[in-house]
Amino acid sequence: MRTILQAENLEKVYRVGRVDVPALRGVSLEVQEGEFVAIMGPSGCGKSTLLHLMGGLLTPTSGRIIIDGEDLTAASDAKRTDIRRRKIGFVFQRFNLFPTLTAEGNLRLAESIHNRNGKDDPERRREVLRLLRLEDKMHHKPLELSGGEQQRVALARAVVTRPAIILADEPTGNLDTENSAIVLNMFQELNYRFNQTIVMITHNPEAAAMCKRIVQMRDGQIVEPAQNVRM
Amino acid sequence: MDNLIISNIRQRPIRSLVSVIGVALGVALVMLFTGLAHGMSNDLQRRSQNVRAEIMFTRPGTMDNLTSSTLNLSTKYVERLQAVDGVEAAVPIGLYVFQGGAGFGFEQLEGVDWPVFSKMNNIQLEDGRAPEAADEVVIDYIKAHNENRKVGDPITLLGNKPYRIVGIFSPESGSRTKMTLSAMQDLLEAPGKCTYILVKAKEGVSEQALAERIDKELPGNKVQFTRDVFTSIESRIPFLGVFLKVLVGLAAVVSALVVMLAMYTTITERTREIGILKAMGASRGYIIGVIEKEAILISALGLVLGFAVAMLGGLLIHRRYNLIFEYSWSWAAAAAAIGLLGGAIGALYPAVRAANLDAVSALSYE
Ligand SMILES: Nc1ncnc2c1ncn2[C@@H]1O[C@H](COP(=O)(O)OP(=O)(O)OP(=O)(O)O)[C@@H](O)[C@H]1O
Ligand SMILES: [Mg+2]
Repeated sequence: MRTILQAENLEKVYRVGRVDVPALRGVSLEVQEGEFVAIMGPSGCGKSTLLHLMGGLLTPTSGRIIIDGEDLTAASDAKRTDIRRRKIGFVFQRFNLFPTLTAEGNLRLAESIHNRNGKDDPERRREVLRLLRLEDKMHHKPLELSGGEQQRVALARAVVTRPAIILADEPTGNLDTENSAIVLNMFQELNYRFNQTIVMITHNPEAAAMCKRIVQMRDGQIVEPAQNVRM
Repeated sequence: MDNLIISNIRQRPIRSLVSVIGVALGVALVMLFTGLAHGMSNDLQRRSQNVRAEIMFTRPGTMDNLTSSTLNLSTKYVERLQAVDGVEAAVPIGLYVFQGGAGFGFEQLEGVDWPVFSKMNNIQLEDGRAPEAADEVVIDYIKAHNENRKVGDPITLLGNKPYRIVGIFSPESGSRTKMTLSAMQDLLEAPGKCTYILVKAKEGVSEQALAERIDKELPGNKVQFTRDVFTSIESRIPFLGVFLKVLVGLAAVVSALVVMLAMYTTITERTREIGILKAMGASRGYIIGVIEKEAILISALGLVLGFAVAMLGGLLIHRRYNLIFEYSWSWAAAAAAIGLLGGAIGALYPAVRAANLDAVSALSYE
């Protein structure tokens, strides 16, 4: 199996004025191709920080991150942006979409950023839309979509460019139970049909239970793997 | 992504419109002012082309600019000029410049001895007769047409003095309204005086040589060539060129500021979207490009609107005040460059700022 993500001994210290706030204190994590990993833990334990580091939106104070064979930590800012463009799809808790663009416009924007040559892949787009059951919502703007639909469009946009890994930060955190279940099902579908590698932060144990692996964090550290549930 | 730019512009129609208008005003201002300067200058020049005399004889200091003049040259010089070898004719002209009847611009009134003046410059009366009495004037066919006047009509000059049109002449030459020289002398209480004397050289006499001869025989006066006096009216109106350049510079600054402000509020409003763009892997160049393209599109719309306003404004002002606008391609190109460059430069700071935003804090912005 191919290792898609490899994080070694990550430390992240935020500096607030003159005070150092340690957010991560030595996190190591490996994610294999096709895995669907949940990250859980109490608020403030460093989950989002870890996700941002893995996506190259932040740089670690120390440690190393390798994404699909490319070292994020050694890269320049521009290079990290480029790796993100080619390899990573983000889904956040809310306001993922460009409000002035339709669902389709959002997808096309992602494609135009991803494929600099302007080529798009209508086949892939159709396939993703079919899988996420969004075909009839394509011409709606975000405000004309329900919260669950918006998150599905965000997921479609993240996945349409075939990223090596999807990083999701509480993607169902703003949804009711019913919509959460639908969106989580879609994540599972993508993982199953496309063998899409996914790392998802969640507070919801039921959501975590759908994942193949749960990583528990506390206080900037991953709690002993022995305590992790493997399915 | 072009989609993103257009949808962004449409998202805030009022703000976009205001920015477009801002750029348009700058462009229209440049076009109208330069168009007016050219139009008036070209108009004077065209009229002066029908002055056949090669040499203009004045007192020093007279006619340095076309907005002031007095009758300060004795008509006795006419005879003395006629006595100079090589002079075919010498015709005295009185020139009086006053504030235009419509309130701005200036108008010229000439006092001439009609028979000699019309003979020298080959001017015909299309209708009516030459002015004789002190309250009689003739106007040229263009003024007659533009202002819809005909022989027998009353006309008010110098603010409130009533005159009567007795003839219409063509082609246009010098001022569009002319009275007799003696009427002007009475009017200005300057008997026996004129403003300048037009001197026509005999066939085959070099104007250069004649000018030198006149200068020698009648020293202490100013001898100019008619073509020099009329060729560069623009350069004769003090600081007009500087004024136009300053105006163009200000228009550029205004365009840049308007676009800068618009794009600045845009990126503040779209901070989170910029964060998402970054999360999607958009490079700094891409983000700068999106904002610059939006600004340039706004500027281009402003440019089109500005040209339209200038054309329409010029037409309306021409109708109402009879000022002449002539737009030149070079100024139009300058105005276009100002609009587009001003917009692009104005957007640069907001664009770079957006590109430099920290992705994570942009994403948490609400
Ligand atoms: N930009 C920042 N500057 C300073 N401290 C920060 C910053 N971002 C996060 N922190 C701190 O780092 C720690 C970890 O934050 P993080 O956002 O990663 O937590 P989290 O696990 O995602 O929490 P939640 O479940 O509430 O989203 C917290 O103590 C937080 O206060
Ligand atoms: Mg978080």
